[in-house]
Amino acid sequence: MFDALVQRFAMIVGSDHVTTAPGDLSNYQYDGSADSALPQVVVMPGSAGEVAAIVSACNAAGCPYVARGAGTGLSGGAVAEAGGAVIAMARLNRILEIDPANRLAVVEPGVVNAHISDATRAHGLQFVPDPSSQAVCTIGGNVAENSGGLHCLAYGVTSQHVLGCEIVTPDGDLVWLGGRAYDAPGYDLLGVFIGSEGTLGIATKVVVKLMPLLEDRRTLLAAFATVEQASAAVSEIIACGIIPAALEMMDQLSTNAVEAYVHAGFPTDAGAVVIVELEGLNGTLEELVRNVLRISAAHGSRDVRQAGDEAERERIWLGRKSAFGAMGRLGSSYYVQDGVIPRTKLPDMVSEVAAIADRYGLLIANVFHAGDGNLHPLIVFDERTPGDYERTVAAGADILRACVRHGGSISGEHGIGIEKRDCMTLQYKATDLDLMSRLRSAFNPRGLCNPGKLFPTSRRCGESARTVARGALATEKARAAGPAF
Amino acid sequence: MRRSSELRALNIPIADELAKRSGSRPRVRPAECAPYAVAGVVPTLVFSPRTVAEASKIVTALAAEGASIAIRGSGTKSYRPPHPHALDVVLETTRCAGILAHAPADLTMTVAAGTPLHVMQEALRAHGQFFPADPPFSAQTTIGGMLSAASAGALRQRYGAPRDHVLGMRVCLGDGVIAFTGSRVVKSVAGYDIPKLFVGAWGTLGFIGEVTLKVAPLPRQEAGVAATFARCEDACEAARRIAASPLLPMASTLHDRHTLRNIRGLGSSSQPWTLLVRCGGSRSAVSRQQEGVIAYLRACGAATIETLDTDRLHFCWQDVMEVAGGAAYPCDRTLVLLVGSLPTEVADVCASISALIQAAEITAHPATGIVYAHVPWPGMGDASAPHERGLLERAARSLLEQLLSQGHHAKILAAPAEFGAIVTPLAPSAPVALMRRVKAALDPSGTFDPGRFVAGI
Repeated sequence: MFDALVQRFAMIVGSDHVTTAPGDLSNYQYDGSADSALPQVVVMPGSAGEVAAIVSACNAAGCPYVARGAGTGLSGGAVAEAGGAVIAMARLNRILEIDPANRLAVVEPGVVNAHISDATRAHGLQFVPDPSSQAVCTIGGNVAENSGGLHCLAYGVTSQHVLGCEIVTPDGDLVWLGGRAYDAPGYDLLGVFIGSEGTLGIATKVVVKLMPLLEDRRTLLAAFATVEQASAAVSEIIACGIIPAALEMMDQLSTNAVEAYVHAGFPTDAGAVVIVELEGLNGTLEELVRNVLRISAAHGSRDVRQAGDEAERERIWLGRKSAFGAMGRLGSSYYVQDGVIPRTKLPDMVSEVAAIADRYGLLIANVFHAGDGNLHPLIVFDERTPGDYERTVAAGADILRACVRHGGSISGEHGIGIEKRDCMTLQYKATDLDLMSRLRSAFNPRGLCNPGKLFPTSRRCGESARTVARGALATEKARAAGPAF
Repeated sequence: MRRSSELRALNIPIADELAKRSGSRPRVRPAECAPYAVAGVVPTLVFSPRTVAEASKIVTALAAEGASIAIRGSGTKSYRPPHPHALDVVLETTRCAGILAHAPADLTMTVAAGTPLHVMQEALRAHGQFFPADPPFSAQTTIGGMLSAASAGALRQRYGAPRDHVLGMRVCLGDGVIAFTGSRVVKSVAGYDIPKLFVGAWGTLGFIGEVTLKVAPLPRQEAGVAATFARCEDACEAARRIAASPLLPMASTLHDRHTLRNIRGLGSSSQPWTLLVRCGGSRSAVSRQQEGVIAYLRACGAATIETLDTDRLHFCWQDVMEVAGGAAYPCDRTLVLLVGSLPTEVADVCASISALIQAAEITAHPATGIVYAHVPWPGMGDASAPHERGLLERAARSLLEQLLSQGHHAKILAAPAEFGAIVTPLAPSAPVALMRRVKAALDPSGTFDPGRFVAGI
């Protein structure tokens, strides 16, 4: 039966675009998270019609499937935990249309995020959401995860920048949710599809909104003695009515690791740095810069540097974007969390994270999208030290518990996937989860479309995700023994 | 489904029973229920829950009786077709009101859904903030009503629509289950973004009890620019070029002569089209915006251009909000259409409307491609009215067909009683099957306003 399915895939996409070779499959077992699992087959469609045919074939065979873009996700959303098929969207990588007069573009899901702005810049337009992985991540994945980015503070995350999607439903039908124009009659299925982590269908075309490029930009790097001072300054900048294009914060552990790694020019003796980027019309930013400087000074900023040119600006952002990579300087591995709290709770949260680090004897560096209260604690651990990974996961769960206690969320932008599904019960009651489950069943009644993601299993939040890795091994064994799906 | 007449016969015992169970006594006498009519149809029972928990008890009990329930805020948009033939129960939300939480430095506010929008705006203004939406009926509409109707004004151009600002909701589903969905912080991707489903659902998926919203700082300064044009195309071109520029004004609205008449502070014009641009930001940004806007208006052939200071802009804007979407017209005597098109198609849409229905009064948000048409309906007392009404009905149906065939969306926001059976047309590609399944999942026994959503949902 499995062979018949593979043959069916080959008929749909051509035999060059289907593989069951173990070497190929292993390339598709990971995304950017700690979870992994081997699919049984990888199929690479070249059109929306082919995606629909693949989904229909999976339905007929009862085979689970998961769509995959660049595999940069951080929560296991593209990991084929249940085995079955990975539908790799890489061939659907064309920008189909740019309509500058209507400020929109129609793109296929495999288009790399940054390529949209590259293609529209000549028209004075840009696609705003800019996740740190934007040089490689694809728009289909951005839609699935409702990705944010450094510059989403002022202009909103992916769902605010997508007008419509053509999708293949889990029934195998090709339909449009939304379109090119606003206000299609009926339920806002597009709104709920975006951020559904690939569990409600597969996007095959995306209509994105484009925003004008702004004339001028100022990037400031402010150093503070403590994280508390820095976060108080962040809160006041927002409270006094300035919404910068980006407002980031890094603690000393992060800045020191980054300095050793890329030499971004961060002061290594500061307890925290804040990066503020202001955008607007020529001649209008001086006023905002003065206000930011005044607020920073009032909260004890020691030293504020304004990027003098584009090269200096890029160096500052390189420093921020290298924070995750720089963790390699501190340990063999790191685990990034993605909690959100009301931004006014940042100082409390920072002390709690420090206490959690002490309690578990772990090193935790902190990088924050401070403007929207989204924290990325980076827990450093050594895979070779027995028990280190388990303690790391448990510490991460404690951080999420603290976020929820402060009225926040367990994920700001990385998604739930496999990684945080057992933590959903921290934030939601059974009836809340049941509402989500009802919605999933309305779209995905057989549960074959990206199964296992987002909903809690019988494990507790913070129990080692390595059990998942063992699950993957079990899948592999099952595959060797014969098709189980 | 229990028929209304049957429910009426039973209403006293049910009312007593419900009062016992929910602590909330319904209105039962026709005279008491009349103020809660939907499109002129008086319900058999009216409940006014104070909380989502009370609503849940009422919904649970009524669903067991097979009654249907229409949710009503302040009733400003109750003439949305198709009008009901009969109405079992109205669940009205105005007692479910109040600001539950406001964290100014977090830019979030949680309100009970029956809170009037203007009450929220006043509370926010005291902190230099606002909810960046300017829907019609701004003096009466409740937050829940605005969201259920997906009412968005011209501020969408810079700020996005209300859907983009809803962070979380506490809702009661068709089987009485209370669920929280979304979050209370400005950024969250934990689970499905279900609040968006409730925005624009017209109360057919559940009762919205509480809403957490993202709010925005008020611009330091505002000012306007008004320009008149001989040609609609030129006004639209100007609006488009302004929207594609780095100026980022707050909003722009386009008015024909008729709708202009309803805007105090702008008055009349010798030209058929007037474009109003609302600028906002820091002092220096506003003056740069005004300069830039004026340059585009000139380049696009404006006949006259004048600037408006903050006070005059705000005075005008009170009416600008109301002329788009029916609030400036008698709701039982006007056909109100919302057309969703592309910014480059706005002038064509305006022309199509005028060509088929000369009496249509048009206002548009040209930067976002939204056009509103208001068609005054001849009165019942008028001797020639029956003939005229027949012609108008035919013209309206042709217009809807034509708009759809040109790839636009057309929603009917309000229709007069004698045209109350008209339904919003759907494109053949609309995902109707999925919508039906979503409805069945959240409202399994079809309790909430059955048959009055698109496609008979």
